[in-house]
Amino acid sequence: MTASDTCFHCALPVPTNCSLTVEIEGTQRPVCCPGCKAVAELILDTGMSRYYDLRNAPDPGVGRPPDEAAEWQVFDSADMLGAFTEQHDSVREATIYVGGMYCSACSWLIETTLSKQPGVESAEVNPITHRLRLRFPADGSLFSSHLATLANLGYQPQPMSPEGAARPEVTEQRTALKRLLVASLGMMQVMMFAVGLYAMDFQGIDEEMQHFLRLVSFFVTTPVVFYAAKPFFTSAWRGVVARRPGMDLPVSIAVGSAYAASIYATFTRGPAVWFDSVTMFVFFLTLGRFLEMRARHRSIDRGVAVSSLLPNTTIRVDDGTRTTVPVSQLAAGDTVVIRSGESIPADGVLSSGSTSVDEALLTGEARPQVKGIGDELSAGSINLDNMIEMTVTTTGGDTTLGTISRLSERARYARPAFVTLADKIASYIVVALLLVASFVAVFWYFADPERAFVITLSVLVVTCPCALALATPAAFAAAGSRMAQLRLLVTNGNAIESLSRISLAVFDKTGTLTKGQPRITAVFVTDNARTEKDCRLIAAALESASTHPLADAFALPDELPAVSSQKIEIGQGISGVIDGRQWRLGNASFVGGGIAVEDSSATHVFLGVDGNAVAWFEIEDELRPEAKATLDSLDDLGIAVALVSGDNRNSVEAVARKLGISELHSECTPADKLAIIEAAQQRGERVVMIGDGINDAPVLAGADTSVAPAHGALLAQTSADVIMLGESLAPLTTAVEMSRKTMRIVRQNLAWAIVYNALALPLAAAGFVPPWLAAIGMSASSLVVVLNALRLNRFE
Amino acid sequence: MRCDSTGSNKETIMSILYVLIPLALLLLGVAVWAFFWAVGSGQFDDLDTPAVRIVMDDDTKPDQDES
Repeated sequence: MTASDTCFHCALPVPTNCSLTVEIEGTQRPVCCPGCKAVAELILDTGMSRYYDLRNAPDPGVGRPPDEAAEWQVFDSADMLGAFTEQHDSVREATIYVGGMYCSACSWLIETTLSKQPGVESAEVNPITHRLRLRFPADGSLFSSHLATLANLGYQPQPMSPEGAARPEVTEQRTALKRLLVASLGMMQVMMFAVGLYAMDFQGIDEEMQHFLRLVSFFVTTPVVFYAAKPFFTSAWRGVVARRPGMDLPVSIAVGSAYAASIYATFTRGPAVWFDSVTMFVFFLTLGRFLEMRARHRSIDRGVAVSSLLPNTTIRVDDGTRTTVPVSQLAAGDTVVIRSGESIPADGVLSSGSTSVDEALLTGEARPQVKGIGDELSAGSINLDNMIEMTVTTTGGDTTLGTISRLSERARYARPAFVTLADKIASYIVVALLLVASFVAVFWYFADPERAFVITLSVLVVTCPCALALATPAAFAAAGSRMAQLRLLVTNGNAIESLSRISLAVFDKTGTLTKGQPRITAVFVTDNARTEKDCRLIAAALESASTHPLADAFALPDELPAVSSQKIEIGQGISGVIDGRQWRLGNASFVGGGIAVEDSSATHVFLGVDGNAVAWFEIEDELRPEAKATLDSLDDLGIAVALVSGDNRNSVEAVARKLGISELHSECTPADKLAIIEAAQQRGERVVMIGDGINDAPVLAGADTSVAPAHGALLAQTSADVIMLGESLAPLTTAVEMSRKTMRIVRQNLAWAIVYNALALPLAAAGFVPPWLAAIGMSASSLVVVLNALRLNRFE
Repeated sequence: MRCDSTGSNKETIMSILYVLIPLALLLLGVAVWAFFWAVGSGQFDDLDTPAVRIVMDDDTKPDQDES
């Protein structure tokens, strides 16, 4: 397909009967529909043509505006404004989750477009969390118009209630930043005074100036100890209460005792103070914690992910009158109307009409399911054919969708991994350190009581498990940010460790190895009077009215013959009249004429006229172009590959044959998949699961590590440990190589920290290391660890 | 160095510290307050985008492109 017949804005093919263009920098560019033309012109008129240069290659269809924008008006009513916005003086503030963002050029486009709209105070987009913070005047500016602007740009805006928008991570990061700043500024100031104090030691002491500098250092150190180092004291205390002393206990003892002894020395004009050691110590610890926290926060909000599969609003029927209400106001017993193409807002029972629904997100079944009166419908599935009415049974978190997401949440938390092990080992190290320190203290108390405190302090500082504690988080944080640049998002700290040891990669077929878009692979014409082209044109014309997933496979850019009296038979096919003759497209029994086709992997669709079949189409889901290469490079890394899919045996076998996969399991329920993974784990395999459907979420959580492509269902993204941004599978091998490299660095760091401690401890215990040197040694060893970790940023 | 020459000279030069250090601490306090305010008003909530925002800024109007 050349560039000239794809839409310049959304990259979908341009229909041949469409001659719409937009003028961009003097060149006429084709667009596929009036909507795309309008969006492109809006972008150009606001002077933002750079968007097209900046954006990554678009996924076809992304950015195409929805057909209806009027649904937003419901958000202008007073209770909607109250529920979704907060008013400060004369300004309303709303947080909106923006679906359909796919690169940072999008956030730039949204911010710039919105801030140029009349009646927008400010618009800020966070591309990581996909949230827009919009401020607009309470009078004379319609909330719906801003939502419609977003929708017109081709995004799916979802206003969030203020409770949903408030996130604990934001508060945590703010507090951590403040603590880091207090510690770093405090350290810099106290170090400066310390240089003065040490210089005075060499140049002769001016008693008054020394006392003054010590007082000032005390003044600056106090907030560092009581504010910046507060988390260490609270966590140490918690450890003591739980009889599980952590790394924070010796840290707290060192900081607390050095601080107390320095105050005593200051006011009694003693020989030495250690304020510099205290602040430096606290700063490095705080920095380590901050880096670790940032790595932890790089995950996508889970609550939003579920709700984004549901529509914003739905039509409720109250005694015959239809009102548009937000989905959050639905209750059990309500009757709602769901039009064709809409997703189902809650769990319920079909009460009027019949249709077929796409439940692929919930069950992994790609084929539409036929539903009649009395059948159950699940929230999040998509109504494909006809308008139906549904009686709501459960809403929100109690729906199947909500339950599945809760299940995967539980599986995430039930995973103890190496974190508990590290904590356990840390407890022993800490107890050992405290024993050594008290032994040293007792020994020196009898040998030389004058120096006992100084030497004990040096031992505590020099043996601080700082480098040990930083070794892993520093490497993980560096790996996380480098992987983000390589289009991999790590959402779980354990992922890197387990990914480096992977021995078996389990793929889910639908949409992971394949494109998830069915395509006609072969046409067989049995009636010699007709050409292949004729048959495809007729099929395309018949399917033009259908929203069935397979219908996309038939779409043709040519001018189609006119069809009249089209009729969709649920689960059977579609019929229509062309040139006065009755055509049917669908399964063999629906079309008639008895063509027998040998059973194969592909789906077959038959075309017939007046009860005689004239042709059949073979439809297959195409493999991703890079799938084979990715599997080969996994093989080079020594990783076995297995295929586990909910699809039927034939299609799974066909995919496995093409890719050379020997281990395959077909027609698996989510429970089967989990059992297969657990069996492999019993054999001693370390399993990475690569999948994208919601039904895979518990499976993803059950595997040692899970990877999800970002184009899959949003929930799978959030329960996966690693998310591959973009359309390609290739980052998977990068992830494995990167994680192995990271673990190598972690091992180097740990080895360094242990060697350093083994050398420094005897020297400090023997009294050769003054506290300032101990603090420098400790900082230098931490610095070596951090710099070693930063080498990961150069990973190609 | 001048401060090494005589004791009294050293005293005079060093005594300026009694003024400068409190002044520095005052500025430090102002800096901390300003930072706390900035964090509280949400200016540091997003630490990722500002780094790339500078390369994206382009206010070229289409009609100015012809020049």
